[in-house]
Amino acid sequence: MVSKLNISEEYSEYLKDESRVIGTAESISFPKNEAEVIKIMKEMCKTSTQVTIQGARTGISAGAVPFGGHIMNLSKMDNVLGMRKDKNGIYNITVQPGVILSNLRERISKRRFNTTVWDDASKKDFIIFCNDQEHFFAPDPTEASATIGGMVACNASGARSYKYGSTRDHISAIRVVLSSGDVISLKRGQTLANGRKSTLITDAGRYLELELPKYIMPKAKNTSAYYVSDNMDMIDLFIGADGTLGIISEIELKLLPLPQYIWGVTTFFNDRDKAIQFVCEARESIKSIASIEYFDGNALDILRRQRKSNPGFARIPHLPEKMSEAVFVELHSLTEDLNLKNTFELQNIMDSLDVQENRSWVARNDVDRDLLYFFRHAVPESVNMLIDGFKKENPSLAKLGTDMSVPNNKLKEIIDIYNEKLAESGLKSATWGHIGDNHLHVNILPMNASEYEQGKELYMSWAETVVKYGGAISAEHGVGKLKVDLLKVMYGDQSIIEMKELKKQLDPKELLGVGTLFAQGDR
Amino acid sequence: MKTIVCIKQVPSTNEVRLDPVTSTIIRDGRLSVTNPYDTFSIELAIQIKEKLGGEVIGLSMGIPETERLLRDAMSRGVDRSILLSDRAFAGADTLATAYTLSLGVKTIGAYNLILCGKMAIDGDTGQIGPELAEYLKIPHVTDVKEVLEVNEERVICKKITDKGHQILEVKLPALLTLLKDINLPRLPSILGIRQSLDAPFVLKRAEEVRADTSKIGLIGSPTQVLKTYVPKNSSEAIELKGSQTKVVNAIKDIIGEVN
Repeated sequence: MVSKLNISEEYSEYLKDESRVIGTAESISFPKNEAEVIKIMKEMCKTSTQVTIQGARTGISAGAVPFGGHIMNLSKMDNVLGMRKDKNGIYNITVQPGVILSNLRERISKRRFNTTVWDDASKKDFIIFCNDQEHFFAPDPTEASATIGGMVACNASGARSYKYGSTRDHISAIRVVLSSGDVISLKRGQTLANGRKSTLITDAGRYLELELPKYIMPKAKNTSAYYVSDNMDMIDLFIGADGTLGIISEIELKLLPLPQYIWGVTTFFNDRDKAIQFVCEARESIKSIASIEYFDGNALDILRRQRKSNPGFARIPHLPEKMSEAVFVELHSLTEDLNLKNTFELQNIMDSLDVQENRSWVARNDVDRDLLYFFRHAVPESVNMLIDGFKKENPSLAKLGTDMSVPNNKLKEIIDIYNEKLAESGLKSATWGHIGDNHLHVNILPMNASEYEQGKELYMSWAETVVKYGGAISAEHGVGKLKVDLLKVMYGDQSIIEMKELKKQLDPKELLGVGTLFAQGDR
Repeated sequence: MKTIVCIKQVPSTNEVRLDPVTSTIIRDGRLSVTNPYDTFSIELAIQIKEKLGGEVIGLSMGIPETERLLRDAMSRGVDRSILLSDRAFAGADTLATAYTLSLGVKTIGAYNLILCGKMAIDGDTGQIGPELAEYLKIPHVTDVKEVLEVNEERVICKKITDKGHQILEVKLPALLTLLKDINLPRLPSILGIRQSLDAPFVLKRAEEVRADTSKIGLIGSPTQVLKTYVPKNSSEAIELKGSQTKVVNAIKDIIGEVN
């Protein structure tokens, strides 16, 4: 079950994730079920071996990168275990953590599951599901090859979290294996904290008294370290904990009825202030918006170049010249008329802002929508390709991508600050992201080591500003190992100590996710 | 330059989903879409209009709901549309459909070019274009991969053949059927959609196009579909045992069967 790791050979890819940080490890395992997870974890606990949990390693904060010890890769736990229609008529699906999002989406959409091992109740509900209207799992991180376990671990979100919230909002139950091998089963609504204290009971009947940290989470979109609040539902503590509190061995997720009409509208601007104003007004006046995404001029220029030079990107629609900003709005409605009305409302807003050239793309069918999704996905992919090119010249370089959010009223201010500082520094960059949630990814593209250092300083200064504005240093990627310093900026040293105390109550030997959330050796 | 674009409504997916218990087809209620091949015709027609001026007319035979797709074409730049819709047209095979479309073309009067997709993705026959051209007694070129030159008198195009390609010059009026990826169909703008709501659209019944009732619909169709089913797609592994020669011969037999 546990293989000794020879990093020069077949397992070397498990030492890294999409953050491109490369770690070290001595052994690796690929458990297939919860019983195997427990067995391995008990063995590791006995020998005090630290364990890093992995899914598909698509994370970009290095949460899945091992800093020594054992790697527990959950990708082989990829079965769908059952289905339940609850008393509110909501369909819930139980999955193992290694199920890949894109596969799950396909199975839900085609209603194709291997039900041979399901219990009779699940099979019965599945038949009802097959004859019901179409459903979907709402969280949509850009990387659909992520595992559900990974999404739960970092509370992933994505464009549509503007309307549907993050992964957390779609999880109805989980099972967690602690580092001792004990299992906790949590159903939403059933285990609530009392103020900032809570008692968890393991399946074996062991009581765990927990003292929760005292910090107040920002009101902006946030997935920076542990979710804590007064009288919280304790399931939420483990969602977004970055694999530092336990191993999520089973997940029950909620499905929503698929909106009948999903349209994508991309509008173009040649004035940044007007683009921001457009976003603010659309947010105010249109209720059925599922996502609002933004692409700055640098991102559009990178796409223009890719389109010409790389055949893989040739199907990106021709981008109107001179346009320096694009805003993508996704509308979800039950009727075509409502989508039409809202699309025209977007045009009215453009007209009221006196946008010079009236350029827009509307996607009303699958083919056109796929084209716009491809466009959106092509931006980060192109930037990563650029960085890989720079890295060939200078292997120590990395992308510096921010993941910060601010409250609604600070959107324009923070974008102005990003742009002023970037202009002053002369650093190359490309900015895009979830502007509806005031959550942009500013990507600094350093060409050499000194620019990299300069970029890191900028990044830190923005974190301070964002925190001052009441925002979060990580809105969707998780803190992982790369934003440990930023977490201190956000919550302060005392809160970090309280978080560590909480971790010790669940993982006394501090074996899980060493280097994640807290600096390595900082025990 | 007057270009007519033939547009067909097809199901949005060609995948058939069966109820696990009753094995009947589950209708997921998804909307129909424009035949993907026709989207390239629409784009080419609009590009020609942008270059030479003139008009693009969308033409379809189908249920009244097809209006939605014709309006979609108009949101992308098609100027006006004609939908031939009548219960009497129902059940038409390619010959009856081509005849009906030819009546629609005749209501338009003079034109320069007719563009069709190579085929529709639901029927996969590829017969409508050539049959329509024969009814109209105009030349046609199938499997066009590129239009090299076009004016109101003639078109020079590249036709893909089994052995390579041909460059053909054709006098207009003529009909071309287009291969996929001949261009990148544009997305409509919001203003385009707004205009399409009021763009000229007419629905014509069988008697309005003076259809010969013996040539339309099921009655006018010399061919009939007897059965539709999902083809069985199976793969199996066979273990070959024995001497090398025996195994090689067995493989030869298997490959021979495939050939």
